[in-house]
Amino acid sequence: MTVDSGRRAGSGLIMPRRTLLKGSAALGLSGLVSAPFINRLHAQESHPLAGQKIEMNILGIAGWLPSSLGVKMSPMFADFAKEKYGYDVTFGFAEAPFADLFQKAATSLATKSQEYNIIISDSQWLGALAKPGWILKLNDIIAKNKNLQLDWYSDTVVNTYMKYPDGGEDIWGLPQEGDTKALYVRKDLVEDPKEQEAFQAKYGMKLPSTFEDYENLNAEDYEKVMEFFTRPDQGLWGAAWQYSRVYDFCTCPQLSIMWSRGGDIWDPKTGQVEGILNTEDNAKAMELYKSWLKYMPPGATNYGIAEEIDVWTQGKVATCLQWAAVGLAMITPENKDKVLVVPPPKFGKGEEAKRVYCMGGQPWVLNAYNDDAKMRVAIDFLNWWYQPETTLEYAKRGGNPTDKATLSNPDFDSINPWNRAYKFMLEPGRSRDFWHHPRYSEMLAVQQEGFTSYMTGSTESAKQALDYIACQQQQILYDDGFASAGPSDACSAASL
Amino acid sequence: MSTNSISRALDNRKFLVFALLAPVLAFFIVFNTIPTLWLLGLSFHKFSLISGTPPEFFGIRNFQDIFFNKNNIWGDLRRTFLFVVVGVSIQTVLGVLLGFLFWGSKDMPGRRVALTLLFTPMVLTPIATGTFFRFIYDPTFGALNFLLSGLFGTGVIDFLGNPSIAYWAVLAVDCWMWTPFMTLMTLAALGSVPKAELEAAEIDRLSWPQRVSMVIWHHGKFILMLGILLRTIDAFKTLDLIIPMTKGGPGQTTRLVAVELNKQSFESFNMGWSSAVSVLLLLISIAMTSIFIYILNRRRKAG
Repeated sequence: MTVDSGRRAGSGLIMPRRTLLKGSAALGLSGLVSAPFINRLHAQESHPLAGQKIEMNILGIAGWLPSSLGVKMSPMFADFAKEKYGYDVTFGFAEAPFADLFQKAATSLATKSQEYNIIISDSQWLGALAKPGWILKLNDIIAKNKNLQLDWYSDTVVNTYMKYPDGGEDIWGLPQEGDTKALYVRKDLVEDPKEQEAFQAKYGMKLPSTFEDYENLNAEDYEKVMEFFTRPDQGLWGAAWQYSRVYDFCTCPQLSIMWSRGGDIWDPKTGQVEGILNTEDNAKAMELYKSWLKYMPPGATNYGIAEEIDVWTQGKVATCLQWAAVGLAMITPENKDKVLVVPPPKFGKGEEAKRVYCMGGQPWVLNAYNDDAKMRVAIDFLNWWYQPETTLEYAKRGGNPTDKATLSNPDFDSINPWNRAYKFMLEPGRSRDFWHHPRYSEMLAVQQEGFTSYMTGSTESAKQALDYIACQQQQILYDDGFASAGPSDACSAASL
Repeated sequence: MSTNSISRALDNRKFLVFALLAPVLAFFIVFNTIPTLWLLGLSFHKFSLISGTPPEFFGIRNFQDIFFNKNNIWGDLRRTFLFVVVGVSIQTVLGVLLGFLFWGSKDMPGRRVALTLLFTPMVLTPIATGTFFRFIYDPTFGALNFLLSGLFGTGVIDFLGNPSIAYWAVLAVDCWMWTPFMTLMTLAALGSVPKAELEAAEIDRLSWPQRVSMVIWHHGKFILMLGILLRTIDAFKTLDLIIPMTKGGPGQTTRLVAVELNKQSFESFNMGWSSAVSVLLLLISIAMTSIFIYILNRRRKAG
């Protein structure tokens, strides 16, 4: 038995050649199949959350395409996190329209809830979210994460989406979507030789029809374009700009005209509004903006973003001042070959003419009450969001990145029809944001009330409306303790 | 507690009443009394939810500000009272007329369908109604402008953008929505009138005005007045109809007090000021209810 056993043991090493070949083939095949997983195991970083399942919630803006793009791309992060960090993450989404999102976020954050882990805020809300400590200050996070130390396209990006208080060094947000104003122009109209000839004959100047033409166009000449295309009998009007009382719809274009004409709205250091906002020059800016209503379809005093999209896509207006970020909705399969997106007009004449338009766009902010695991995932998410390939993918889907590397890419201008105008308006000095103060929504509500009161004829005089706004805002900032001076005695007579 | 002591306790009428009322009282105290007291306390404080600082005792400053017309609060109250008086009057007159129409046409074919259709606006949510009417009123795409221009050649009317029309356009929607409620209350009031008395009035050959004043009003006034009271309180709080239509604009034209209160509390988060305004509105509501009850009681005593 022993001898036999020994022989068997010895004979085990001697395998038939066919069996050996089969075994080698199987081993090779299994090696090939498992190679990617082995590679992944090597690629995975050691991560404290590896092997865990995390549920995250993003609060975004309802009906706002750039916000939904960020949300739609989040499953890509789930794949990335699984592969790189080894944890499973799922995303839930909540949303509210612009005018209601702050309310939704604030009422949740006030209870120290981590109902929403990542929030797409509007830029002006940074102060209101930061001051009560509801969102996380990001300076330390950025210092520890190289991917977040980006070279932004201009200071406008940093000042708009990241910093509060203005001029300080504290960073509370990182840009989710960059956005500027842009002028959408009916290319089929402005490139029509008959229209060009008629325009030349009527005004003695060329009908602006290229990006460069509009880059050099001032408001006075733009008014000629609006007037020229205002043909109610043909169901066509010269322009659509926003005048609505909802949210900041009337404020953004109105402030743009004031700034472009050299006016200002407050002193962010002292909180002084009275005497800065309610000037004769700003009143003239309001009168000018109101006078443009005659080039717009009836009911333009109700126009906000959605109404503009409606009249534009139905071909009722020749030009439209709209956010670059709304390009996805403005440019449809039906009109895609008929749209030119250009910089909005300058104000003034010659060398002194300038354009300073309102910034749009939204930052990501992180809930300060996130537990450690959710905060870690949120930071991983931001790290992924600013990877060059993610940013490029975002741009290809219609989003507006804000980092210098992506925007300086030679192909960037051609990715979307509005990219060139967006980049142009993002250059320093061409766009700016208004207050990041915590009392933002209150100041805005008063301003919207005053502006629209004048635009609709409810208040006869622009100066009267401005006096009312300035006095109310001065009181708000004084009550807050931010402004050193309260409203003057003249304010007792200010009303709409 | 033994079975005997439980049955003894249940036999005690006072204990039984208390035991049955306890859940309701607990609910009332937790969800009504405490928040109201909290609201009252907060009205004497300066407190912004977004300031990051705790409430600061402010004395009667918030009420002083109301008195001195801060944020044009008296303008909001004036618009609101006008809205309530005109709106509820129209709804009552139309509701009563429709009520009599349906009451007197019990054999009319399709009456049930007509009644169902009539009550539809009342069951819609105001926010949806407001949104529908914003589109109906729209000067560019709206159905109403299309109809008016087609039928009467009125040209484009900017119902919600024109400050001299917007208030009445919003009020018209409120009437469209709530007249059926007054019709319903009228039908209920008419249903409470005994048939025998109506027949007697007919035999006595009383004229219609006499029948209304001597028989119908005598029996139906309480239900009708209750309807008016409910509508008054409800109209005083109108908010969700206006938000989607005008958001209080153009300017301040349709800014009723609830619209401003909503803005101050849930957009600006000025909880101290908002609480003071809420206390004022609560007092106004109590005063209006008291006046109605006084009128009813006086007439009852007189009757």
